[in-house]
Amino acid sequence: MDRRQLLSLAGLGALSVAGGGLVAGCTSTPAAGPGTTSTSDLSKILPSYVPNTAVKPDIAGVIGANGAVSDPVFLSYPGSPVKTVSGVPGKGGSYTTMTPLWGAIPPSSGNAYYEAVNKELGATLKLQPADGNNYGTALPPIFAADKLPDWIMIPGWNTTNLNFGQAVSKFTDLTPYLAGDKIKAYPNLANIPGGAWQAGVWNGKLYGLPAYPGGAGIPGTYYFRRDMFDKLNINPDNIKSPNDLDALGKELTSSSAGQWAFDSMWDYLFQVFKFPMKWGLDAGGKIVHKYETEAIVEALNWHAKLVAKGYMHPDAIAGQSQNAKQRFWSGKVLICGDGPGAWNGDDAKSGTAANPAYRRQAFKLLSASGTPTVELNPGAGMFGYLNGKLKEDQVKECLSIANYLAAPYGSAEWLTVNFGTAGVTYNMENGNPVLTERGGKEVATTFQFLVTAPTPTTVGSGFTQVAKDFGAWQADMVKYAVKPLFFAMNITEPSQYSSIGQAVEDTITDVRFGRKPVSAFTDAVKTWRSQGGDALRTFYDDIRSKYGTGQ
Amino acid sequence: MQGKLSWRAKLRRDRSLLLMTLPALALLIVFSYVPMFGIVTAFQSYDIYSGFSASPFVGLAQFERLMTDPVFWHALENTLVLSAVQLALYFPVPIALALLLNSILSSKIRSFVQAVVYLPHFFSWVLVITIFQQMLGGAGPLNTALREHGWATWDIMTNPETFKYLVTGQAVWKEAGWGIIVFLAALAAIDQNLYEAAAADGAGKWRRLWHITLPGMRGVIVLLLVLRLGNSLTVGFEQMLIQRQAVGRDASEVLDTFTYFYGVVNNNFSYGAAAGLFKGVLSLILILIANKVAHLFGEDGLYRK
Repeated sequence: MDRRQLLSLAGLGALSVAGGGLVAGCTSTPAAGPGTTSTSDLSKILPSYVPNTAVKPDIAGVIGANGAVSDPVFLSYPGSPVKTVSGVPGKGGSYTTMTPLWGAIPPSSGNAYYEAVNKELGATLKLQPADGNNYGTALPPIFAADKLPDWIMIPGWNTTNLNFGQAVSKFTDLTPYLAGDKIKAYPNLANIPGGAWQAGVWNGKLYGLPAYPGGAGIPGTYYFRRDMFDKLNINPDNIKSPNDLDALGKELTSSSAGQWAFDSMWDYLFQVFKFPMKWGLDAGGKIVHKYETEAIVEALNWHAKLVAKGYMHPDAIAGQSQNAKQRFWSGKVLICGDGPGAWNGDDAKSGTAANPAYRRQAFKLLSASGTPTVELNPGAGMFGYLNGKLKEDQVKECLSIANYLAAPYGSAEWLTVNFGTAGVTYNMENGNPVLTERGGKEVATTFQFLVTAPTPTTVGSGFTQVAKDFGAWQADMVKYAVKPLFFAMNITEPSQYSSIGQAVEDTITDVRFGRKPVSAFTDAVKTWRSQGGDALRTFYDDIRSKYGTGQ
Repeated sequence: MQGKLSWRAKLRRDRSLLLMTLPALALLIVFSYVPMFGIVTAFQSYDIYSGFSASPFVGLAQFERLMTDPVFWHALENTLVLSAVQLALYFPVPIALALLLNSILSSKIRSFVQAVVYLPHFFSWVLVITIFQQMLGGAGPLNTALREHGWATWDIMTNPETFKYLVTGQAVWKEAGWGIIVFLAALAAIDQNLYEAAAADGAGKWRRLWHITLPGMRGVIVLLLVLRLGNSLTVGFEQMLIQRQAVGRDASEVLDTFTYFYGVVNNNFSYGAAAGLFKGVLSLILILIANKVAHLFGEDGLYRK
């Protein structure tokens, strides 16, 4: 499981928002609130932040621009992990859960990891991981049939199709339990910064328990094969713009040898060409969608040019994204885009298996013009929710369990929650926990999706240098962070406009692969505007005047 | 004779056959008839929180929107074109394969070939398309070889123009082997004495094929053709979904993907249900027409008249 990649995914989606009614003329939607909460109300709702400073990182987090903070780096696990929870958190209750999982679903019976964590919890969490790729289409039937589990994780990007401003009423309002200083009853939850809770607030109430919070979340960036660049004497620090990348294309592509310079490059170009992830402001302060910017047209042209020149791997053009990592590991492509989580010890393990010299590195932030900027994700993009049917003492038991699950890195509980039992599912090797063969089959990101402590950068599979490289890159990156429009705000868009973007996205795919001219894109955007794009702008104008921009 | 038997007597006579249809019947009820209740959403503005009972009734509004949606018409057009191509290029293949297999005398070789052509049926579409991409894609052995010789590469996997032939080719590779089972059964039912008699009368290989084998298979061929026509609006959902990025929406959007993207993905269940119902009604009309034509030609079709 690739945690940071998920974080990056989380960010992409947290900005997309779900249905409800504000715009005049959409009376067909129920009069649920827009989901949004004003800044003054937020301050009353958000839990207090009481950081746990028991463990000192090897490299401290760096404070960047606009509230961004890079993750602290730990190079080894503390020798004598502290206990952060006294007594048994659970009271013998049994709760069903549902979490997405991107990877193989582990066996549910005889799973030593599940059993070990449940034993420590003093309660039974019945884990039901579901395929993360289809999670969004699996959720509506569960809501429609009212078959929600006791505790469910819903990524921000899946709330779009759930009319979530209305849906949250099915969950427990956690405000009476956690707002302000009340959270101090749960010290490990209090160790999660206020910003991480923010996107878990709907309609002026706190509903979500943050999963994988972090202060430097971005959707993704561009990577290159450091070993190959060194061999070819290319200095990556000289690559600063899309034009510099384009110029590398010829040198790095040798199609007869099965090597191409680029994999698909589209996903993170908004950062390079500086168009918003979704909505932004133009020079005159007018709210514009990314579709309406000049920058996205430049990005489309640039991407189509790489394809036309033959610098992009044919499998990437054929949409075989599931093999993208293998292409990069085996050196069939030398430059690719990916989430920040792609850069970790597990990746190095897979890459060096293909080629012992393998070394992944990210370019410093690229920019088409001027100083680079990068739009930040909210402090957390995925949240665990408790079923509204739970009784008060059950909610308290779940929060007490959550307090255990959210134990910080360096604690004894963290090891249990993430690795299970020493000697069974993991062993300490060179100061860091490494899964055993059994652990590799049975341990999966399951409990962690219900609620998670702030996630530092750690050494994976013994690759210390990777953790250092990543930490250094992130410390540089946060200097360029900016908050996007409506940052960390939960806005419920009128549902009748939910499908208008589909045609534009389809056209973007055609244009960036050179199957259609850019004029097809501008035509699709015109249709999008008339079908509801302009109405959405009015909707967001209204949000801005009532609730501000979140920036 | 049959008409004279009482209903009770018929039931007693056929009870074991009727019992055998029960599992299939249960499957139909659970997965086809019960979900049909969902059709009501096509006439509503369905909302998952209000449910069937409380969602507002909107009459034919969803269908009005559907009829004026160019994307829907384009999907229908693609579906029909693909269906026609598959009918012409895919349907005859299992028949030819069955005839070919039937002419192999060595049972060892026959079962070997049979096993080889059955196998791809059990692969998922993701796997089949990946194999095609790995073999015929721009980085596969075919194009690498062309490139090594300095020849132009052949764009098979990402060409929207030829996509209909590509998906038909993939369908043939995956399913044609499996499709021969029914035809082999029909071949086995042909009386071998007919062949001997014809051979004694001096009929050659082709004559025997024309006058004995094909007439013997005609009933089955017509039945499958009728079923195929009824299914002609279903041309492969996964195949289109997986290759959507490779060739773009214009080439790959069919009715089923339309329902998925505009109905399920964007939480427009009523709109998707309307598109699905439209497809279902159209399919029913097609199957009735095909059956009528079969009867005109003196065949049984789906049921005996």
